Amino acid sequence: MDKGQIAAVLQILKRYNLKGTEELLRKEASLEDNADEDVLQPDSSVSSVLTGYKSDGDPETYEASYMELKHFVEGTLDIYKHELGTILYPVFVHMYLELVYNGHTEKAVALMKKFGPEQDSYYQDDLKKLALVMKPDHMNGNELADTFKSNQFIIRISRDTLSLLKRHLNDKKASVLLNIIQEHLYFDMYEGVARNKKQIDATSGAIGGEAKRQDNKTKVYYGIPKLPDIQSLSAPVEEEEEVGDQDNPDKPKKKKAKKDPLFSKKTKSDPNAPPADRIPVPELKDNDKLEKVKALREASKRIVLGPELLPSCCCYTLLNANYSVCCAEVSEDSSMLAVGFNDSIIKVFTLVPQKLKAMKSAEQLEEVNIEAEDVLVRMMDERSGETSRKLCGHGGAVYSVSFSPDRALLLSCSEDTTIRLWSLQIWTCLVVYKGHMFPVWDVKFSPLGYYFASASYDRTARLWATDHYQPLRLFTGHFSDVNCIQFHPNSNYVATGSSDRRVCLWDCATGNHVRLMTGHKSPIHALAFSVCGRFLASSGTDSGVLIWDLSHGHLIAQLMGHERAVHCLAFSRCGNVLVSAGLDCSMKIWDFTKLTEDASSEEVNVSHNPDVKIGTEYLIRDFATKNSPLINLHFTRRNLLLAVAIFDGTNV
Amino acid sequence: MSKISDNDLYGTNFSIESMKVIAESIGIGNLADDAAKELADDVSYRVKHIIQDAAKFMNHAKRTKLIQSDIDSALKVKNIEPQYGFQSAEPLPFRFASGGGRELHFIEEKEVDLNDLLQNLNPKAPLECALRSHWLFIDGVQPTIPENPPPVAKTTQKLESVDPINKKPAKETSGKPTTGKQKLRNVETVQIKQLATHELSVEQQLYYKEITEACVGSDEGRRAEALQSLSSDPGLHEMLPRMCTFIIEGVRVNVVQNNLAILIYLMRMVKALLDNQSLYLEKYLHELIPSVTTCIVSKQFCNRPDQDNHWALRDFASRLMSQICKNFNTSTNNIQTRVTRMFCNALNQADKVPLSSLYGALQGLSELGTEVARIFILPKIKVIGARIESHLEGSLISNIDKTASGHIKQLLIKVLAPILKTIRDPPDNLEEYKQEYGYLGIALHNAVIKARTQPNPVTTVPSNISGTITSSSSITRTVTTPTGIIQQNSNTGRTIVMNPPRVSTQQGNQKFVFVTQRPQTPIGASQSQTNTSTQQNTVVKFVSNAAGQTQQKLTGQQKLVVVSNPMQTNFSTQSSGLMSPTSQPPAMLISKSSFALQQQQSQQLQPPTVDDLSHLA
Repeated sequence: MDKGQIAAVLQILKRYNLKGTEELLRKEASLEDNADEDVLQPDSSVSSVLTGYKSDGDPETYEASYMELKHFVEGTLDIYKHELGTILYPVFVHMYLELVYNGHTEKAVALMKKFGPEQDSYYQDDLKKLALVMKPDHMNGNELADTFKSNQFIIRISRDTLSLLKRHLNDKKASVLLNIIQEHLYFDMYEGVARNKKQIDATSGAIGGEAKRQDNKTKVYYGIPKLPDIQSLSAPVEEEEEVGDQDNPDKPKKKKAKKDPLFSKKTKSDPNAPPADRIPVPELKDNDKLEKVKALREASKRIVLGPELLPSCCCYTLLNANYSVCCAEVSEDSSMLAVGFNDSIIKVFTLVPQKLKAMKSAEQLEEVNIEAEDVLVRMMDERSGETSRKLCGHGGAVYSVSFSPDRALLLSCSEDTTIRLWSLQIWTCLVVYKGHMFPVWDVKFSPLGYYFASASYDRTARLWATDHYQPLRLFTGHFSDVNCIQFHPNSNYVATGSSDRRVCLWDCATGNHVRLMTGHKSPIHALAFSVCGRFLASSGTDSGVLIWDLSHGHLIAQLMGHERAVHCLAFSRCGNVLVSAGLDCSMKIWDFTKLTEDASSEEVNVSHNPDVKIGTEYLIRDFATKNSPLINLHFTRRNLLLAVAIFDGTNV
Repeated sequence: MSKISDNDLYGTNFSIESMKVIAESIGIGNLADDAAKELADDVSYRVKHIIQDAAKFMNHAKRTKLIQSDIDSALKVKNIEPQYGFQSAEPLPFRFASGGGRELHFIEEKEVDLNDLLQNLNPKAPLECALRSHWLFIDGVQPTIPENPPPVAKTTQKLESVDPINKKPAKETSGKPTTGKQKLRNVETVQIKQLATHELSVEQQLYYKEITEACVGSDEGRRAEALQSLSSDPGLHEMLPRMCTFIIEGVRVNVVQNNLAILIYLMRMVKALLDNQSLYLEKYLHELIPSVTTCIVSKQFCNRPDQDNHWALRDFASRLMSQICKNFNTSTNNIQTRVTRMFCNALNQADKVPLSSLYGALQGLSELGTEVARIFILPKIKVIGARIESHLEGSLISNIDKTASGHIKQLLIKVLAPILKTIRDPPDNLEEYKQEYGYLGIALHNAVIKARTQPNPVTTVPSNISGTITSSSSITRTVTTPTGIIQQNSNTGRTIVMNPPRVSTQQGNQKFVFVTQRPQTPIGASQSQTNTSTQQNTVVKFVSNAAGQTQQKLTGQQKLVVVSNPMQTNFSTQSSGLMSPTSQPPAMLISKSSFALQQQQSQQLQPPTVDDLSHLA
């Protein structure tokens, strides 16, 4: 920080009357009080100091120096050409913003008109947004301009290419160019051969440039830990005996099961699994255990899917719901479907013959024998069964709903900036979590329950626990809305997808980002972890499905074929098949086993992204619905595919 | 607003004029140009910003259309008061108009009758969202049920017939590597269309048998069901070639055998296939058009041409032909031109061709539209008139020829009177008519005079010597289109049902047939309650005994077209018992479920009364 910046900060502190902080900062920066007078500047200077766009450069020179840079890039050897080409876009954007900032609107517009259309096609949408900025005061509050202003654009570049560029800049001494490159560009240099066009295109496209190598260096425990209570579950008969004295004896047993994988080889635990006590998890209740047993029994009847054995799909079509349904979610055991509406209502449907019952009233509950075996059944009022129930409380469109693993709770998030927790036993709202300042786009329960995560318009994702009003972790770093969030199957990580076209993996334990993956060309709207936990699928409005390897953060495949935004992704429970579906009324089934086999057969170079697999060779089959955009996919425990669609009668 | 050009990063902006107009509307009279410019720039920026944000809300609601509430939400996020009073459940239907070098997008605002509003105290409640389940696919195979799209979409069928070389590889092979074939393709220049085997499953064979039997059998009820299935089942694509062969062969044989009834049934099959939304018949037109033409212009269809009403078959087939022309005419196949030329050839030899064929050609041309009739029929009228005069007024009167001539005369008058009414100026001079149109001049003159005095130009009841009086052959269909109550079936949900409780009385030589028509809705009971256009049409027909018997039958036959789209009704009728909101996966899977459904439906219909065509057989 130079003096000018410190002075600007001091000025702000003074304005807001934060005397303590001001004094501390003065002391630390060893600035004398009298320095105040030296740097006392009009208010406007504050912003100018911080933006770094103040420039006395002659507006006439911008176009010429961009031209000159372009010629230089085109004139270099083919191996360096493409990598050097990546600096053109950020330089262009910053030149435009600098011109706008200094009031040379005509020059800026001329620059944009001349060179804008020749930038890469995936930047055109952003350029359209930037083109809106035509006055210095437009720059405040413009998401894109703010991002470019306050962040360095990251460019991965080989040593040779970088030295070539440096030599060129030294030769030319083009001050405008030099300034921009020094101030706003960050070169993440690597040793080795420069990348080719295909490799660069695969990972570029995000708002802030590519991910740094440093971003993906942390070790990620992507494995799935052994089920803590597997011993008790494998012999369900014992289960009943344990129930009596489960509290104490069960706990150490669990611990043991969790810890031993590292040295007991016969359990064959995943070496990449996180230690079981990495994040605290509430103990399992009797009911949860029964549920687990049930799930395991069901799972044993599961069919293993593959190219030869395709799944069956039952499609639930929502009628009369055009333009009113925002989201839908099926509970883990496939017994319930929750639908969030534009008009702030949530509706829960039962998908099984059992109806949705409510709990008895307080007086009646007193009569229930607590010691009884079936106390949970007795609690419920038999006469209150209904096939669908409404939950009212939100004040805006409901953008996402999520069932708790035990099916007793439902989370919903809304345009009214709140997250609500609902009881599916008494059918009322239990908690309103306020924390986000802007609409909340997505909310998900952790696979273990208790924790949940939310993503919002305010560019943050947050980790919550159901018994805390305040978020436990705040995941910040995205440059734009966080559109979707997903828990890793081992609950230790959450992945977020954002409108800044980056996928990020966050560590719940530390709150840091551990993977940053670029390659999407438009906002990301859906995420799904593979069953093994190593791969992540993401998709969005660019209608491609991208597969990432979390071990190194590499993009391994780009599955193209959809024609419109893909809003739902699902892995089969056996992990062999990936299904994607979206607003183009089609559903595609991909061969995921073949994909991972092909990917692992190649040699993995840690620093380099491997060649991205593109194409339809992994597509097994696609199916169309009748004018019904698909909004949710879910595999039942037996690998039956459930799809939720909205019938669009207006296009018939 | 200025024009938008593609690839322009700057898009449109508000113009200075717009700003001034808006300023005036709030009472600021003379806004300076500079101020307006400044305002226009700023407003454009803000509006675009808001729209960008609104698009986020649209994406998150998983829609592809922006609606008003998205804009409201975007305003709310920016801490601006939303615009109240512009709520609508659906996106605004923007209309587009251009003219005088300007393009305009606007919203069509309907005028609301306040009386209607006042009388309709309880506005219709919106339909509740309901859940319906069906199998999208089973073990990777998509069942052919109404809930699923047809196995081969109409657009692909169309593409296939228009451009067979570019046919995409079938879906089944898309997963398998096809490198070998593609390499071959690059080397050789000749492209061979892949052989496709068309094997029908046992069910399909059964279906084919049932349908064809029902269509030409004697049971009118079964026929109605079969035709309905043909016109609405989505999975008929594979059977289409066989159906067409059945029709073609049937026509070929029965024309020779003078089997009028069967020919009528076959034409009804063509009609049903044409009506099927999921079929594209282009590939089979080269076979169907000759058959249909045969049914229009053939010399003889029946053993008793003086009694049986083969005219109706010609009329019906003519309508089919015009439907074919309308649906499939393109600049490359020129169907309409070729059909027109064919009929004209018959007209050019007006004194040689049999009268019945002449009638067919005339009818065929007149169905193609008034313009065709004006250009091709009108110049020939004198020749035709001369020919029929000899049969009608001459001394050697053959009964067959007389009837035929009567029909031709009647047809010409019906077709030409409205045309003459528009192309000639009011003082209608009888002599001029005689001069120009020869024998038919008098009758045309009468008809035109009548047409001018009558407010309704369609119905012309000429009084002529043959004594046959028929009402105009305009088909009296009652199409109940639900008016906005059910949003799903706005354009294709047709329910045409006729219910003729009829009273026939014998009065001397003439027969009065009262046909009461009432739009009925067999399933959606809610429709008829809310349908405001419920009306009763009573058509009174005066039919003479001699030729009328068959005529009456045929009108009945035309009207008994029961068309409904079961899929539509499934999706839309919430209140009916057909749809249970409980969400159990569909239990049974038969490819002909819609057929079963139709059987259900048609049980609710009353079987067609009196008009049974079986005696004709």
